[in-house]
Amino acid sequence: MSRRTLGSLLVGILLGLSTGVFLGWGPFPVEYKNSALSALAPHYQEEYTVMVAEGYRYDPEVNAALERLRPLGKENTIAYVIDLTERYISQSNIRAIPIMVALVEAIIGADNLPPVMQLYRPTLTATSPAPLAP
Amino acid sequence: MATSKHVRIGKGISWMALIVGAALGLAAGLVYTWEIDPVIERNTAPWQLSAAAREDYVVAVALSYAANQDLLLAVDRLRAAGPNRNIWEMVAEIACDRVKTGKTITNSDIRVVRALEQLYAPQGASGCADGLYPTPAPMTFATPEPVMSPTPTLIPPPSKTPTLPPPTPITAEDVRPTSTPAAGAYVLTRLQSFCDSDQSGVIEVRVYDRRGEGVPGVPVTVTWSGSERDSFFTGLKAEREAGYADFIMEAGRAYTVSLPGFVSSAPVVEAVPCTAQDGRQATTSYWVNFQERAN
Repeated sequence: MSRRTLGSLLVGILLGLSTGVFLGWGPFPVEYKNSALSALAPHYQEEYTVMVAEGYRYDPEVNAALERLRPLGKENTIAYVIDLTERYISQSNIRAIPIMVALVEAIIGADNLPPVMQLYRPTLTATSPAPLAP
Repeated sequence: MATSKHVRIGKGISWMALIVGAALGLAAGLVYTWEIDPVIERNTAPWQLSAAAREDYVVAVALSYAANQDLLLAVDRLRAAGPNRNIWEMVAEIACDRVKTGKTITNSDIRVVRALEQLYAPQGASGCADGLYPTPAPMTFATPEPVMSPTPTLIPPPSKTPTLPPPTPITAEDVRPTSTPAAGAYVLTRLQSFCDSDQSGVIEVRVYDRRGEGVPGVPVTVTWSGSERDSFFTGLKAEREAGYADFIMEAGRAYTVSLPGFVSSAPVVEAVPCTAQDGRQATTSYWVNFQERAN
């Protein structure tokens, strides 16, 4: 192979390689079709979590709700639910807050509910009135 | 001079080698970016989910819909999971698959199938899960239809005041003999739960004729987990009523109770945990009464 041919081949390979890398990572990235829930975009993961929390109102089984959240692949599902709920509270996501708080309350119990969530409990427990001063 | 320069440039490049090299380079670049080091999968949309993950997603949509009854929201979510499919058929298929693969063991499983059916059935879709786990009837007493019963009429005691002639007492000849009920002749008159630690997880079935008397010998069928069933007869417990039979449930399962010829939706009862009045944990029990329909 002459030097001319070899040089042309190398130049062509470099051109093609850079074009291929540009296309494969840019406009035409690999498209996944058998993805797990853990690969969902964060927006969809959060929507899925809210759906599961809302479903808890229909199917009040805490373990089943946690089982449904497990495929999201979070290291600590309970901590993830609490974090998301606190974020919704900070963002004033009015629709999602009571739904998520109800699930958090079911998971960790009313007594362990963080103070920031107490206000959003769907069922506030009645407190006995303060004793009257003598 | 110009001609010789042009020739020199042309001689410096082998166009064929350049094209072959570019093709090889492009192929190598795509192999690298699609196979060896692809874009990290981060922003997957629901339509890209695997079948199992899509099932989880659709179940969540159905449960959410069962709670909020927001159909438009459910449609949007389902379209995200199956943009090029009939979303109602997709939901029906998932319900059917869950039944076929035995995902109907726990109460949660059954609620999932119900939620899925609530979503697809009103939209005209159908599948093999149709009607397998109907929503339990509300726990209310059905007012039994009044039935005439031949009570013996006492002859009024003699009195000094003149009285009208006493009404003609109903004689035995006026009472029609009880016949074997025809198919579809029973109606559900009572479906009520109760919690008793001494009678944990019991289905108490009572079958009455149209006069309100217990009917022995009526076969009662209880089914659970899709294909499991047991049949027994009323009246075998001498210490109880003539039309009485019972069945012990296993905690965590749902059961349907039916009689031959009972054509309405068979009542579904669930053996869920409960706390009895004495504070002890038990499994919910049920009173299920049927009565012969008055024509």
